[in-house]
Amino acid sequence: MALVSKLPSISSSSPKFRKPNSFKLNPVRSIHCTPNSPSPFTEKHSIERYNRDNWVYKSQLEQPDSCPVAPDPGSIRDHEIAAQLPELKRLLEVLREKRESTGGGERGRGPGNVFLVGTGPGDPELLTVKAVRVIRCADLLLYDRLVSNEVLDLVGPDARLLYVGKTAGYHSRTQEEIHELLLSFAEAGANVVRLKGGDPLVFGRGGEEMDFLQQQGIQVQVIPGITAASGIAAELGIPLTHRGVANSVRFLTGHSRKGGTDPLFVAENAADPDSTLVVYMGLSTLPSLALKLIHHGLPPDTPAAAVERGTTPQQRMVFAELKDLADKITQAQLLSPTLIIIGKVVALSPLWTQSSKEASSLVEAR
Amino acid sequence: MALVNKLPSLSSSSPKFKKPSSFKLNPVRSIHYKSNSPSPFTEKHSIERYKRDNWVYNSQLEQPHSFPVESDSGSIREHEIEAQLPELKRLLEVLREKRESSGGGERGRGPGNVFLVGTGPGDPELLTVKAVRVIRCADLLLYDRLVSNEVLDLVGHDARLLYVGRLLGTIAEPRSVYAFMGISLYEEIHELLLSFAEAGANVVRLKGGDPLVFGRGGEEMDFLQQQGIQVQVIPGITAASGIAAELRIPLTHRGVANSVRFLTGHSRKGGTDPLFVAENAADPDSTLWSVGTPEHTQQRMVFAELKDLPDKITQAQLVSPTLIIVGKVVALSPFWAQSSKEASSLVEVR
Repeated sequence: MALVSKLPSISSSSPKFRKPNSFKLNPVRSIHCTPNSPSPFTEKHSIERYNRDNWVYKSQLEQPDSCPVAPDPGSIRDHEIAAQLPELKRLLEVLREKRESTGGGERGRGPGNVFLVGTGPGDPELLTVKAVRVIRCADLLLYDRLVSNEVLDLVGPDARLLYVGKTAGYHSRTQEEIHELLLSFAEAGANVVRLKGGDPLVFGRGGEEMDFLQQQGIQVQVIPGITAASGIAAELGIPLTHRGVANSVRFLTGHSRKGGTDPLFVAENAADPDSTLVVYMGLSTLPSLALKLIHHGLPPDTPAAAVERGTTPQQRMVFAELKDLADKITQAQLLSPTLIIIGKVVALSPLWTQSSKEASSLVEAR
Repeated sequence: MALVNKLPSLSSSSPKFKKPSSFKLNPVRSIHYKSNSPSPFTEKHSIERYKRDNWVYNSQLEQPHSFPVESDSGSIREHEIEAQLPELKRLLEVLREKRESSGGGERGRGPGNVFLVGTGPGDPELLTVKAVRVIRCADLLLYDRLVSNEVLDLVGHDARLLYVGRLLGTIAEPRSVYAFMGISLYEEIHELLLSFAEAGANVVRLKGGDPLVFGRGGEEMDFLQQQGIQVQVIPGITAASGIAAELRIPLTHRGVANSVRFLTGHSRKGGTDPLFVAENAADPDSTLWSVGTPEHTQQRMVFAELKDLPDKITQAQLVSPTLIIVGKVVALSPFWAQSSKEASSLVEVR
């Protein structure tokens, strides 16, 4: 986790942290970044996260002896967590004092507000008006890899950003610490926002976070977001349901509890040529999923599309018939997050015809 | 269809048309409306639509003889259509002249922009930032019953609003006054979009919820694309997401539901097909969302076990728009526990 204040703009024209060479801080340790294809989705070692989290490194500079330069990403994360807690506790105290001094002010004695906010597939314009409002008023925002950098740029200058992505080295006790944190901040009257990519209640594990908080007596408000299926279908011009083509649409996830086989049981029921299938986080299970679908009766030439980083400037798309999809995805080297749409509706996209004319099926729309 | 200008504010403090007594026009004919429970969704004879469409009645005042006062809603609609066309053609001409006079201006010679915009379940705060931007810049907006009045309040002053809600008749073949010419109402709407787009206007087709999930957005896109007009789609919060957030029901949940399926309650022939829904409800690990349309503001909910659901819905007299959610996840909602404690299962949230 990394707790940061949002940095003031570096230059008046560019609030976005996309120009590392204009940044004056020297890195404490070497940060691996990929300047060729900057991800719109925060990656642990991306330059944006470094910039955003730089206050952490600064405080570590002040105490160099407590900070071994370890290249292991797991232990970097642990150190970050250790480094956060004092600062967070200070913040909590500040909020409590503020609350006591304002007395029966606006926030009064009640708990603060905790929101689960869907941030959509990546394009910040696809946030709801309500989401933007809540984000701007938030004191503390928790986010992960699926929240794009541009969305994070919307937070207020005094807000604290906390990265809670799941990476190697993430322990279950840390999950508990996060929940305790949310709780403490809420009780101190803060506006706490848990940002979730897409829609928080569709494969976002939003339910689990709500559960925990509700058990502690904290009411969570959910602000829906444009789920990846909607955002990407709109982008590609693919109607998820269409008269005479698809009378239902089904969302599946490629992830499962045990890590691999569960979605395939769904394949039996999902091999319906009159239904559209949308698979979230399905890159690794796609090859077996495709085979299973075909085995259960879905025509092998069913049109399909795989979209990486949909609705962002880095969007890449692969169009193929179901039987060829896995290969084409591999050739194109698509990465997570990638959404897969399988069904006759895919052929309704103007991009489908375009892709079949080109030698390569990789379409870069932007 | 009814073509209107957005009326300027009646008073500085209240741009919404919710105070009929301050309105000075006299209705041409008696309009039936339900004053007890005003719907946030535009109803054909609601007072809001009357006000929005009042210019029509104005012009009818000028030609009283051409308008028999019939209470049959179908023919009222037909007469409205008749009344719209001249105005629309005038508007089209205005736009064309404007375009020619501005020459190679911003819009140049290319077609205007046509957008299919999802307006979400009803709450205008649930529009995307992009949707709001596009709505504000639109010249012509087509809307139907599933677009809430509050969303319509966002349109610019000079924008034209066109109500294209379904006529009486089946979904498949809405009646049209031009039936004798063999043109269906949908085709008329499409032709209109086309003409305006070619004239360089920003045309927006508003759809409740998300345009590509049971919005028949695909058909409208098809037609326009065949004519060479590119349509841009702006997604919206589909009913399921909006209501899930409201009820705090996760659509998917670890160990409870690993997939979610959206079905329509309508069959191709028109009308609900409960058998279809039931057949598809068989997978216990999937959450089933049967889409009617979403509710807002006057939201009412019925919770029940699947076997009791049809009866409870009838008892509560729920009317369209209604969304049906089937699945174990429903029990995760704090409202589920609340409803089982009450004698009646009808929950009124607001």
